[in-house]
Amino acid sequence: MTDHLSQTILNALADGELSEGQLAGTNQHLAGCPACTSNALYQCLLKQATAKAGQRYEAPAHLLERLARLGTQADSRSQASNIGTASGSSSRPMRGFGLLGWAAAAVLLIASVTVTLVQRANQRAEMASAERGALVSEVFDQHIATLAGNLPLQVVSTDRHTVKPWFQGKIPFSFNLPQGLPSDTTLDGANLTYMHNQPVAQLLYSIGRHRVSVFLRQRMGPSEMDQSPTERSGFHVMGFGTNDLEAVAISDVDPVRLDELTSAIKHAQTEEQKQSK
Amino acid sequence: MPLLPSLYNVAFWLCRNTHDAEDLVQETFLKALRGFASFEPGSNFKAWIFRILRNSYLTSRSGLAARRTVGLEDELSESGESGPAQVPEAAIERQTPEVNLLQMADRAALQTAMESLPAPLLEVILLCDVEEMKYREIAATLEIPMGTVMSRIARARAALRASLAAQQRSPREFRA
Repeated sequence: MTDHLSQTILNALADGELSEGQLAGTNQHLAGCPACTSNALYQCLLKQATAKAGQRYEAPAHLLERLARLGTQADSRSQASNIGTASGSSSRPMRGFGLLGWAAAAVLLIASVTVTLVQRANQRAEMASAERGALVSEVFDQHIATLAGNLPLQVVSTDRHTVKPWFQGKIPFSFNLPQGLPSDTTLDGANLTYMHNQPVAQLLYSIGRHRVSVFLRQRMGPSEMDQSPTERSGFHVMGFGTNDLEAVAISDVDPVRLDELTSAIKHAQTEEQKQSK
Repeated sequence: MPLLPSLYNVAFWLCRNTHDAEDLVQETFLKALRGFASFEPGSNFKAWIFRILRNSYLTSRSGLAARRTVGLEDELSESGESGPAQVPEAAIERQTPEVNLLQMADRAALQTAMESLPAPLLEVILLCDVEEMKYREIAATLEIPMGTVMSRIARARAALRASLAAQQRSPREFRA
């Protein structure tokens, strides 16, 4: 026998992916071909061994607990919207309930509300912390990708009057770029990118030889980032915002110099608002 | 959360460190919570959430680093993926099933071989063998054609076999 079964067929055999017709033909071939039979057996053993060897890493308990809390909070949020209707339908007039009973009920109610509020506050803080961490991760990844990628910036210019108009029609908001920049700081260009399914303007600056990314997006609610810098793998991440915009800056430059740049950008937004009034 | 252990296992295989794997799983979880409305009831939830994990990995620091260091697209040119796999025939024909069985019983050797796989081959073998996904589900998860899934599985197993054979020939040097 000269024509052996292909590796694709042998793999499909081990994975149980052959059709009935293919399986019948394969079995017929295996009955007369020791080499393919040995090969098929090897593939099956390899699959079993890989399945066992691949089950290698166990999720740490603290991660499971953290995610369980996030999941519980998401559930409670979705249930919160139904509380009004549910309580309305279940409330019934109560009779023969003495003064002491009312007092005890009031105390219990206050205690349970207090506990619930504290738990909600803790959960909100945890959720906010997790979302802040996710935002920092996304900003970090986008900045690293920009530095690492071979693709040029989508708009390459040191002229703010070139960079800002480039975003017209691409993003659902507008922003202003500062006329004067701190010393040794230059505008390199910009990219249109996306974070959390929102269009974001990524402005690229250089401070000396350090690259800075400033991500500007429309404010959708309370700010997810603090003004105080967060450090991650040697990079500093700093948030700032105005009434309409939320911005996050990231760089490995000295945080003081990063703050000078973000202050200039923030000042440019507020100046624009004053002039428009 | 029955899939979290599986997500973490695959995340760790891809990232190779605890911190990045935890970040990746948490990011996947948050994205799944936010985007749950986009999940179509009746479709494959496992494929959906693993696709989120995989896409998050691709844009993560670990994923970008992997793409830079191993040059995945260069190594796995799509034109070559549909062709016959390069199997070390000599290693197949000269080994008895008993020897193979003993060899594969060495879990550490197989894990070492898996660690040496480039990410596109590793992820397909993890989804197929560890997560027991069908080819159709893997194709949906990785957003690649089913033919590419089959060719990558063939390449991954051929690479594992070659790596195990190399370890058997020179175990000391290989594991040093």
